[in-house]
Amino acid sequence: MPDWKRLVRERIAPSAPPASVHEDVVRELAAHLEETYEAARSRNLNEPAAIHLALQEVADWHALAAAIHCAESQENPMNHRTKSLWLPALLTLLGASVSLMATQFLGLQPRLVWIHGMGITLYWPWLAGLPLCGALGAYLSQRAHGPLRARLAAGLSPALIMLIVMLLILPWGLALDGLHFLTLVSFGFGLANWVALPAFALLIGALPFLRESSTTETQRSTT
Amino acid sequence: MTQRIRSKIARGSGELAILSLLAEQPLYGFEIAKQIGERTGGALKFTLASLYPLLYEMEKRGWVEGRWQANSAGRDRRYYRLTPGGRRQLAPLRAEWRTFFQALDSLAGVSHA
Repeated sequence: MPDWKRLVRERIAPSAPPASVHEDVVRELAAHLEETYEAARSRNLNEPAAIHLALQEVADWHALAAAIHCAESQENPMNHRTKSLWLPALLTLLGASVSLMATQFLGLQPRLVWIHGMGITLYWPWLAGLPLCGALGAYLSQRAHGPLRARLAAGLSPALIMLIVMLLILPWGLALDGLHFLTLVSFGFGLANWVALPAFALLIGALPFLRESSTTETQRSTT
Repeated sequence: MTQRIRSKIARGSGELAILSLLAEQPLYGFEIAKQIGERTGGALKFTLASLYPLLYEMEKRGWVEGRWQANSAGRDRRYYRLTPGGRRQLAPLRAEWRTFFQALDSLAGVSHA
């Protein structure tokens, strides 16, 4: 049988402020998991299946830690969402915009790349700086105990916003120019240039701050 | 929006379910989840992740209080009991939900579904 207290502490402590995860909380959650496990064993489930069933009680330890923190501090969940998602996303967007302006101000020219006879303008100096912005967003979200999806969304926010903008622009473009092959190709290039490549660059920076949950997933599946 | 409404409904029903159970006797977390599941035929289900944040919030509001004591198997468990404040919440909550279901019934005939 696993050491439930250790298991809870390992999963919840990295995601929650120390003040909200006092020993009583760990002890109580561990006792709940232990009883869930024992109830499963009494129904003749084998040990790995019983452990798996007990761990299914918590789908997202980050979210649980955040919910306990909100409950303990009587904090409005909206404040938590603001701190863990909206604010980091806004700062990431601001960072990405400022770095684009800075590259233009410094005279760093984009590179024109030809693919199958079509030119695509690569803002490589900007793209090179984007991992820092992605890291900033994901880090700020992690610091505010944001769950994995909040950290991901905060880190990728400039690309996500560009995606929304492009999806809003597409119908207008089609309405004005009609459905032409060239319109769709330019839209595809625009999507690659302003959404896919920035998203990739942002993700590189955000990755170290997303890893914690994947470790938890691994721990969960191997326990 | 729909999810937020659902979440509020789930939260409100959870509060009522917990207060109603604790009005009968003090229980610890696992027992609360088990009894809610059993007595509602599985229609209401609490996992660890949904139960404890709600319990801690209700405790902060002063509706319930938790105290460690040994269960029938001699293991220490945190038993929750209703406080006088929690008991005062129960009647208005029940009335609120009754009104809600009556309104829903008159609109959608849910009680005959």
